[in-house]
Amino acid sequence: MPDRTICLCYRKIIDASSTRPWDKLVWDDSYVEFRLQAQNFNPENRYRSFGEILHYMPGAERLHFLVSGAVTGYVQQLSERMPDILNNLGRHFLRFERFQFELINSDLQDQSKHQVAVNFVSAPLHWHDTVGPFLLVSEATAVPAAGEVLTHLVQLQPFLSIYSIQKPESDASANAG
Amino acid sequence: MERKHFLKSLLMGAASAPVLLSACGKDTVSPTSSTSSTSGTTGTTGTSGSGSCTVAPTETEGPFPTKTPASYVRSNITDGKTGYALTITITVNNANASCAALAGALVDIWHCDAEGNYSEYGGTGMQATNYQAVHFLRGRQVTNAAGQVTFTSIFPGWYSGRATHIHVHVYSATGTSLKVTQIAFPEGSGTAVAAVNGYAKGLSGYTSNASDNVFSDGVALELATVTGSTTAGFQLSWALAVPA
Repeated sequence: MPDRTICLCYRKIIDASSTRPWDKLVWDDSYVEFRLQAQNFNPENRYRSFGEILHYMPGAERLHFLVSGAVTGYVQQLSERMPDILNNLGRHFLRFERFQFELINSDLQDQSKHQVAVNFVSAPLHWHDTVGPFLLVSEATAVPAAGEVLTHLVQLQPFLSIYSIQKPESDASANAG
Repeated sequence: MERKHFLKSLLMGAASAPVLLSACGKDTVSPTSSTSSTSGTTGTTGTSGSGSCTVAPTETEGPFPTKTPASYVRSNITDGKTGYALTITITVNNANASCAALAGALVDIWHCDAEGNYSEYGGTGMQATNYQAVHFLRGRQVTNAAGQVTFTSIFPGWYSGRATHIHVHVYSATGTSLKVTQIAFPEGSGTAVAAVNGYAKGLSGYTSNASDNVFSDGVALELATVTGSTTAGFQLSWALAVPA
């Protein structure tokens, strides 16, 4: 298999059962911001849930973006290091530069129904091979030292997916000569 | 110290123990039940469909997150956007108290850049964005004792179908919406709108306040005072009364 360049996406779900400090801060602050911003799309407080607002109010899909302002400060605190996803040595190893915040469910009167996701998109990786449930990858920007490139094994797991794949510029020219 | 220990014990108790249990007990944990029990909230315990397990985190703990206000809470909202400087001063009065200054109110503003674009998720809405500067030209301030907030920004451009404007949303201190409205700009010869001349695209096809479907019912209450020049920058001031 020729090496391919991919980006991984990790969809981190945060809800009432989340216990870790970062998750709880994101959960609490995104709920406060949702209650503020939802008022742009909720005349006479007609609706209670995010689902209803999204269904009935045109333009309400902008709430994903508008509420994300409560989260960007916490995303910056991660210093581009993707949380939770480990290589098979048990270390965090993925870098991210892009993210997208997403409201899944919420309720203006019941925070326990508030559920959000932060989608992290990794920096480009070279995908060298697949070993059982593992992808063998290396950072696309890594420069080989004496022909050696350091690699990571990362396991395919729920909420981790391949976000994008970069097409080689031209197969024909790459194969020529 | 105590809090740290408490958090640590929470982490150890709530996260690590199940991690180890589910990671090691692969014979007794079916892939479906372990998948639904993690739901991605711990993220480190994902079990693949084949029933094999992943390693638990094995590194120095951290980072330690700190409480951070929404990225909107700032006075300078330019985020590197270029254009003629504009200082925006908004005064909020209480219509239920003889128009006395309203302190402690939240004021959100947002407007488009010199080209007429807003910060928002792009195209399909599914494209991830760079995490820096995603909320350009959007800000939030709390009114002072004089009922005032001040923002540093750039003069808004314009886009098809609308006159130059700035969106404003005023909330009570507890977050209840009090007013959603827009600030209009004086237009015609000698005004700031004429001096800026629509930036790069000029004013051909520009919608005047009289033709604008938000302002056309009478712009008197929404109209700001705008002074200054393209070289020295512009100052906008505007007051509104809300029932608080």
